Amino acid sequence: MANKNRFGNMYLVIVFLVLYAPILYLMYYSFNSGGTMHKFEGFTLQYYKEVFADTRLIIIVINTLVIALLSSALATIIGIMGALAIHQMQNRRVKNTLLSLNNVLIVNPDVIIGASFLILFTMAGIKLGFYSVLLSHIAFSVPIAVIMILPRLQEMSPSLVDAARDLGASRLDVLTKVILPFIKPGIYAGFFMALTYSLDDFAVTFFVTGSGYSTLSVEIYSRARQGVSLSINALSTLIFLFTVLLVVGYYFIMRKANRNGKKEPAAEMGVPR
Amino acid sequence: MKSLVRVFLSIFIISFSLMGVAAWLNSSQGYSGGNTLTVYNWGDYIDPELLERFQKETGITVIYQTFDSNEAMLTKIEQGGTSFDVAVPSEYALAKMKQEHLLLPLDHSRLPNLKHVDSHFLNLSFDPDNQYSVPYFWGTVGIVFNPELTKGVDFHSWDGLWDPKLRNNLLLVDGAREIMGMSLNSLHYSLNDTNKAHLQQALTKLEKLAPNVKAVVGDEIKMLLANEEAAAGVVWSGDASEIMDQNDKLDYIVPDEGSNLWFDNMVIPKTATHVDAAHKFINFMMQPDVAAQNAEFVGYSTPNKDGKKLLPADISGDERFYPPSEITDKLEVYDNLGKRMLAHYNELFLQFKMHLK
Repeated sequence: MANKNRFGNMYLVIVFLVLYAPILYLMYYSFNSGGTMHKFEGFTLQYYKEVFADTRLIIIVINTLVIALLSSALATIIGIMGALAIHQMQNRRVKNTLLSLNNVLIVNPDVIIGASFLILFTMAGIKLGFYSVLLSHIAFSVPIAVIMILPRLQEMSPSLVDAARDLGASRLDVLTKVILPFIKPGIYAGFFMALTYSLDDFAVTFFVTGSGYSTLSVEIYSRARQGVSLSINALSTLIFLFTVLLVVGYYFIMRKANRNGKKEPAAEMGVPR
Repeated sequence: MKSLVRVFLSIFIISFSLMGVAAWLNSSQGYSGGNTLTVYNWGDYIDPELLERFQKETGITVIYQTFDSNEAMLTKIEQGGTSFDVAVPSEYALAKMKQEHLLLPLDHSRLPNLKHVDSHFLNLSFDPDNQYSVPYFWGTVGIVFNPELTKGVDFHSWDGLWDPKLRNNLLLVDGAREIMGMSLNSLHYSLNDTNKAHLQQALTKLEKLAPNVKAVVGDEIKMLLANEEAAAGVVWSGDASEIMDQNDKLDYIVPDEGSNLWFDNMVIPKTATHVDAAHKFINFMMQPDVAAQNAEFVGYSTPNKDGKKLLPADISGDERFYPPSEITDKLEVYDNLGKRMLAHYNELFLQFKMHLK
């Protein structure tokens, strides 16, 4: 038994090594004074200074964050409504069709979504820039939010709603006091999924940016033609540390909430079911 | 419910305040406001200081956007939606843009600095009289090699590549025109040759090269060569200068039979909304001291002959990147061969690739 465990642990260690090695490698070289990725010559903070001096890069980072936060929040709100609508659908056939249509959008390649948005926006005469990027990010995040929220809704016992109605709750009360609190973990899960999708999306964004508006993925990709400069390493390191900080913060908040409320921990951690 | 509302409200507040910060940064840099110019260029292909200087001199703010391939740039310009005022396509993309009427003709009276550009690089087949474009940077196709590992191989001729000493030690860029052209050149034909018998000869010769070829690769060729994964490689000079920056043991040479001469050019797309500012920018980039500073920063060869004089001697005297006239006279620009001929080139190149193990 102990032997089996050791094997399992080793496997886990290897998996994590494979996942984290490239990131650690990248972080290590962000301090290289040699300026390249093959020989470590000495320690320097020069590339971090470069990142903070490059206003254009900082604007791009902010753009990326704003798009990610706004689009995933809006997409989650739309997704809540969509999931509720699909859930309440009486006709089985229509319900299944809607669900499949939602799933098709998730597996649909990004390039195709991006290209079709480009054609749509130019046909509609929408100027490419902030709004086109925001709209397309919302669009590809909505199906994700829906699929994260629906399972929670299906899990909810219908008698819960009936009981609330019997006790005199209005429709609005049922929604805000029964349904929404129950599906809250799904909502958060949907939001964070959408956030990560939006943060690293390249294919769609590439097609719909314009007028000097750019996000990090697009910028790094076009800079890579000349070989990725170490300031990109430095920036990536900062972003990685920032994400780690967010996750740790999230963990502590949830632990505190659990101690206070003793709610289901797994669901609260935003683990989709 | 309350906590949900609180969370979402704070997300909105955070993003709006971030937007505020971005807008403030933008305006402190002067990116917003009416007097702007949108430049669409390759990534890392200009000295950022020059953009600041241009802004100081003219009061026009440059919105700088980047692309990574001619095809990507073409698509964005074709689709419209964004108005790019200046773009920098390579010569074959330029020919395509001309065909599809995507360009505005240049007003030469507004480009007095054109006189600084070397006449060798003007009035070329892809744009007679420079009606639509002025050259931005130029370069060649040649051989990067490691003198230690290729001792005794003479790369002054393309035939050096066929030397058995290079067995399984040669990398090629994945371009039909480049590799077919190199083979044609080695047979002393033009790299725009359309004679099918000559092309067949070129293919037969290429097939003999197969034992030497380690791989036919894309952009990663730079990294592979810099890391000494192979002793030699056929690449563009721009890539070569980068490879040599990373690994100074390597050397670059343009063989005597001649080679390809490529250009990246400044043009004004039809969608431009600030045509006057675009002319000012193009004229500014042709100013000798500006061209020199830019060439020093980017590392490619400048077509600006007065600018070249201002470069440090170790750059302008580098015959690998500013070859003497005996070689430049033999360099050829790719002609637009038409769809069918191009397909034939691709077909032959594919046959060669299939011949590789």
